[in-house]
Amino acid sequence: MFRLALNMLFGDRAKLAMLLCGLAFSALLMAQQTSVFFGIMSWTYTPVVNIRAHVWVSDPMVEQANDAKPMRDTELGRVRSVDGVAWAAPLHTSFLQARMVDGNFKLITLVGIDADTFAGAPAELSQGRIEDLRLPNTVIVDEWGAQLMGKTVKGADGKMHTVALKPGDVFEINDIEARIVGICKVRRAFTGGPFVYSTYDRAKTYTLGARRTLSFMLVEPNAGVTPSELCERIERDTGLKAWTSDTVIWDWSDRSLARNTFWWFWKNTGIPFSFGTAVALGLFVGIAVSGQTFYSFVLENLKYFAAIKAMGASMRVLAGMLVIQAVTAGLIGFGLGAGMAQAIGRVMIEKGMPPFVMFPQILFATLMLTMGISIVSAIIGIIKVSRVDAATVFRG
Amino acid sequence: MSAAHDIAVRTQGVDISFGSGETKVTALQQTEFTARRGELIMLVGPSGCGKTTLLSVIAGTLTPQAGTVEVFGQRLDKMNQEQLTAFRRKHLGFVFQSFNLIPTLSVVENVMVPLLIQGVGHAEARRRSLIILEKVGLKGREDGKPNALSGGQQQRVAIARALVHEPPLLICDEPTSALDKDTGAQIMEMVRELSRSPDRCVVVVTHDFRIFRFADRIAEMEDGRISRVVDDPSTIESQHHG
Repeated sequence: MFRLALNMLFGDRAKLAMLLCGLAFSALLMAQQTSVFFGIMSWTYTPVVNIRAHVWVSDPMVEQANDAKPMRDTELGRVRSVDGVAWAAPLHTSFLQARMVDGNFKLITLVGIDADTFAGAPAELSQGRIEDLRLPNTVIVDEWGAQLMGKTVKGADGKMHTVALKPGDVFEINDIEARIVGICKVRRAFTGGPFVYSTYDRAKTYTLGARRTLSFMLVEPNAGVTPSELCERIERDTGLKAWTSDTVIWDWSDRSLARNTFWWFWKNTGIPFSFGTAVALGLFVGIAVSGQTFYSFVLENLKYFAAIKAMGASMRVLAGMLVIQAVTAGLIGFGLGAGMAQAIGRVMIEKGMPPFVMFPQILFATLMLTMGISIVSAIIGIIKVSRVDAATVFRG
Repeated sequence: MSAAHDIAVRTQGVDISFGSGETKVTALQQTEFTARRGELIMLVGPSGCGKTTLLSVIAGTLTPQAGTVEVFGQRLDKMNQEQLTAFRRKHLGFVFQSFNLIPTLSVVENVMVPLLIQGVGHAEARRRSLIILEKVGLKGREDGKPNALSGGQQQRVAIARALVHEPPLLICDEPTSALDKDTGAQIMEMVRELSRSPDRCVVVVTHDFRIFRFADRIAEMEDGRISRVVDDPSTIESQHHG
């Protein structure tokens, strides 16, 4: 009977198309919005991803990775003296205005790294060499920044084009020259501003000699010491705050700087509510459209279900038929919706905006919710069919 | 064969009413009805006389408030819903007024339904369905949709579906009401031919006096009771013509 149930479902193409549209739209909305949400949230802890270190140390009042509360340089010596520290390097981060050649200003994130060890340097340079950062007044800009801060020129076709910055180009930070010696590949930041890397000492110059410039310290534990253990020791011995750098969302520890940044944005911004509303809307629209369509499918077939019931089909068989129909529609709807979400995601990833992170868990949750919608629809149908009187088949 | 063994369907003192108080409608009152094995009996009478209600009682889709219902030796009035469902599955075939063929299934799939409900495998169900479709003259139309067939052809499909699992009791509810005279006659000829068996009983509810001649006996109903049973259908047919 289950094969016939599927034939009944696929035989009514118009109804099936409506049902699949509802389910696919719902799955698309849930998967796509959740992926964009996690993409945006993953941008919040971009510094932890870009600036690789096992342990981060900050002022005790710091709550998240974008919230630098500068410390005195002497703190570096105190951290280096903690048992279990292999090495510790200074890190400066600040938001500054950069002045382009054409006089335009752009907001940048200045990252000052230790010139001796290059701890915290970008993992990959598409142009130039990291060592050139030791030359006077030099910086490395990320690819996004190179494009964003690029020069606007009139092309041969008469239209205005942006030419990305390249090694050798110059701009200014607080009236001090910044000559580009490399272009790096890093993940984009939540703030939208490009990353500009310099040495820690030159960063002090760009900030016009601010009294405190040590935003974070990047620390490597000795062999045999776990990051968590070292964090505890640093906090106990110095009174500073120490963080681990694990960024795997379903496996990060309480000490993770990424985790704390994620939850800070969760609690202090309207992002979760905004995306949560869209996901909930997808769910409600899915339930409403699919439930209504499936219900009308059941209503249209009610006299046939009554006939099958009169012929001796048990309620178990009829319920099985409805569940098979609903689950099949749910699976196809999920496949279409998730497929469209993936396709949209691919385009988004290529364009880099908005960010898109589709964890397998998102797909699984979307599948479960879509199946939930289908099961609810099936239950509505089963209740209707269970109430139909088999004797109605004799009433014309 | 004894008289008791000869009985296919027997109702005694059956009462059915719907609603309560001032809106109470009595559909059957103390209804006595008997159908024999090997016969085609028609239930006739004016609209609202209780024909369809009696048919539902015999089919086990309606449980009487009083009285006994015995079909092929089994007391339907003592069965619960589950037992009634199992009884219908095995012992009954249905031909409905509006055919009730599922439009999204093919002709052969419609015929397969009673066999699949019984748990017969798909391939075997298809094989047996094709045989009976050939018997009703629809060979070659098995994979088409019912809506592509004429009314007469659709009713033939319904007959094939009713008989494919070889039920002892065939219930036909106004089988010719949607058909013209000639097609109706052909359908009744087919019902009589295919269902003629010493162990099978056919109960037909109809308004259509043109098909009375196909009956072995005719039971007339009035106000929820069998008012008379006619052994010679031609007499009652001539009354309607006259």
